[in-house]
Amino acid sequence: MAVSPAPTPVPTWQRGRVTSWLVTTDHKRIGILYIGTALVFFVLAGLMAMAMRLQLARADAGLIGPERYNELVTIHGTAMVFLVVVPILAGFGNYLLPLMLGARDVAFPRLNALSYWLFLLGGVILMLSFFASGGAAQAGWTSYPPLSVEQAGTGQDLWILSIHVLTASSLAGAINFIVTTHGMRTRGMTWTRMPLFVWSMYIFAWLLMAVLPTLSAGLTLLLLDRGISIGPWDIQTHFFAPAEGGAPVLYQHAFWFFGHPEVYVMALPAFGIVSEVIPVFARKPIFGYKAVAFSTVAIGFFSMLVWAHHMFTVGMPNALNGFFMVASMIIAVPTGVKIFNWLATLWRGNISFDTPMLFVLGFLSIFTIGGLSGIYLAAFPIDWQVHDTYFVVAHFHYVILGGSVFAIFGGLYYWWPKMFGKLLGETLGKWHFWLMFVGFNLTFFPQHLLGLDGMPRRIYTYSDEGWEGYNLTSTIGSWVMAVAILLFFVNILRTSRTGARVGNDPWQADTLEWYTTSPPPPHNFDDVPYVTSARPLYDLRRRLREQRGARTSF
Amino acid sequence: MRALLVLAGSLLALVVVPVALGDNGGFTPVEPASPNAEGIHRSWLFVSIFILLIFVLVETLLVLFVVRFRRRRRDRFEDGAQIHGATRLELMWTLFPVVILVAIGAFVFYELPGIANVPSAAAGDRLEVRVTGRQFYWQYEYPNGVIAIDTMRAPAGVPVRLEVVSPDDDVIHSWWIPALGGKIDAIPGTVNETWFEADEPGVYTGQCAELCGLQHAQMLASVEVLPEPEFDAWLAQRRTEQTAGTSELGEETWAGVCAKCHGLSGEGGIGRRLVGSPVLADPQALENIVRNGRVTRRGQMPAVGSGWTSEQIDALTNYLEENPPSGG
Repeated sequence: MAVSPAPTPVPTWQRGRVTSWLVTTDHKRIGILYIGTALVFFVLAGLMAMAMRLQLARADAGLIGPERYNELVTIHGTAMVFLVVVPILAGFGNYLLPLMLGARDVAFPRLNALSYWLFLLGGVILMLSFFASGGAAQAGWTSYPPLSVEQAGTGQDLWILSIHVLTASSLAGAINFIVTTHGMRTRGMTWTRMPLFVWSMYIFAWLLMAVLPTLSAGLTLLLLDRGISIGPWDIQTHFFAPAEGGAPVLYQHAFWFFGHPEVYVMALPAFGIVSEVIPVFARKPIFGYKAVAFSTVAIGFFSMLVWAHHMFTVGMPNALNGFFMVASMIIAVPTGVKIFNWLATLWRGNISFDTPMLFVLGFLSIFTIGGLSGIYLAAFPIDWQVHDTYFVVAHFHYVILGGSVFAIFGGLYYWWPKMFGKLLGETLGKWHFWLMFVGFNLTFFPQHLLGLDGMPRRIYTYSDEGWEGYNLTSTIGSWVMAVAILLFFVNILRTSRTGARVGNDPWQADTLEWYTTSPPPPHNFDDVPYVTSARPLYDLRRRLREQRGARTSF
Repeated sequence: MRALLVLAGSLLALVVVPVALGDNGGFTPVEPASPNAEGIHRSWLFVSIFILLIFVLVETLLVLFVVRFRRRRRDRFEDGAQIHGATRLELMWTLFPVVILVAIGAFVFYELPGIANVPSAAAGDRLEVRVTGRQFYWQYEYPNGVIAIDTMRAPAGVPVRLEVVSPDDDVIHSWWIPALGGKIDAIPGTVNETWFEADEPGVYTGQCAELCGLQHAQMLASVEVLPEPEFDAWLAQRRTEQTAGTSELGEETWAGVCAKCHGLSGEGGIGRRLVGSPVLADPQALENIVRNGRVTRRGQMPAVGSGWTSEQIDALTNYLEENPPSGG
């Protein structure tokens, strides 16, 4: 290793239990901050969903009025995307990327800290917007004009501000991930020896870099259309105002050019987690490493060519609809490749069902449904029928909650011992999984049927009693999930009090993060082995075994 | 093993229970009643064949592998088979989905003309209706100037071409009657078109499918399909009545436009209570508010009647004069 400069002593005021977290630039602490903060937002946004489900449990219920309901719809969606799934994955990336690459930290530690604090700021702005004059934004997480331009009060403006801040945060994080991956891989770690989770974070980062600026542009135009005052000047534009020659649909293009890749921003790192967990609990190498890595790149690329499949009903020419249908279907191919490779990784394995593996297997079974219902939506005449209904709500919850969030929970159970040195309780973990699995399907499966029966999304009430059965089932399911999530937090508390310490590598995993201590020291590694394959620790264990001449594995 | 049985059982229950609870009980869109909806329905069924096939394949393999290759008495950390991949398999499961997707795409394009193309007017009689989506009602205009709100009447067996629009000062809505075909957005500044040809008389319902504000959920629409002669008679009669000021337009306007926020008896709701309001007694003031909307402390009333004909305004004023809101 190169000679490192003498460390600067840490000032006393920065050593406190709280202050050391406030000033930290350690990627591990920032990762934990990201995950912890996002979990808090997860609870808040989850409670919003519970409230909406209560309102919809019965026809013509009067629990929540339309104004409040529209706020909840908007902030639940925005928060789950921008404050929960993406930041938790960024947190995993932060924590794991340097460890998996055998690096000391990310490339720009201070930028990394800035990225976290901007995320927190953006989240606080969004949550506090409930107290703004006129309440929080009410135009849905997509905030289409003219509705979003028309809304009085400052909630919509705060929504735009919050997304702008979060965008800056994400861009800072993305730059870090890209540079770290390019420049800080340890000796021997070629591109095809990188863990698949690193591949997924790398594409995650490039996608954010490519599409976030478009969102920012769209939102800035929206803000100007709503009107701003700078000193004595009032500025009011009409980009999306048809009366002045503007085009409301232009905003939809800007939004979805970002919005669809954003789905893969939330899905790819989850795929990465799955690709890390399955081999470890099946005691096998990942089947088709290169196919899985390349399919990640392919999904990332094609995800930027499908945005208008969210807009099949705006009246585009059918040639254009056809293009976006074909492009959307093409994405199904690399996604299918991943699923089949994961299945093949299970084949002839030695499979253990610890909680991380349960969540990942749950992911596989649920995500398959979410992927398949997407084929219906890609076929645009069918989309004309089910677009903007509960079928779509069911579809994206199967992808994002049943897919990404299940994988995230798997990842939390899997890397928890690395982060904190203790295994999360297995019994509670299994309860958490099964309740979540049953609750999830109970909540969202009936929503497919509701959508097919004509129930649009984003309605605060309905009078059709034929919809009551499905809706009530769905609400009951949401309670089952709530209990599951509660158990997760109980598990964390219990583990932190009474959990026993486990070794550095309780799962006998293959990637470099398990080479160091649990939790790792601030500088991560005292030494890093030379990497000779995508499974450096597996190689190391085999070499040890050969040296000892032992025939049995440990 | 027991866990897997629980899994299989609960999945089955998930499929069966909601179906038993619901009324249409189906995994298909609403029963179609028009050729375009039938085309969508056929596409749905065609795609479903492959979806089910892949679903069963993947979930079966998953359960099979998980059961067959579970640890049992093996050591926890004993290696599984160290297989790194197989190019032939990769090619297979890349190409196999491509073939399926080509089949799906081909079928969709085969059905597309029957779904998307409006039957030409030359082929016989065709009715044109202009559908305007507004906060929070649907307004229909027939070629002879007849206006209706929320409930559209249409003849059976006759193609109906819809021009779907939204005024410049309104927001985006989406026109959708599931049994009569897919949805199309009503976008300010854009004229979209769609069509249907109802096979049978009956009432087909739907509602706005694009979040359009507070009463989005109340923006219901229905199409009442009548036998052709009956429809022609209705349209002619409505024309006469509308000119004479005796049509139901006033009542329809009250129920469709005003009552969604102010209550059917003016008892108030999202909008203010209207019982005893001096504005209702003053046609000029009423017209002013209806045409221009207004901003109050509690929020904003949209300009629900901007662009209405004086015929429609009069219909509303007359109706309110005769039936002042009682507060229920």
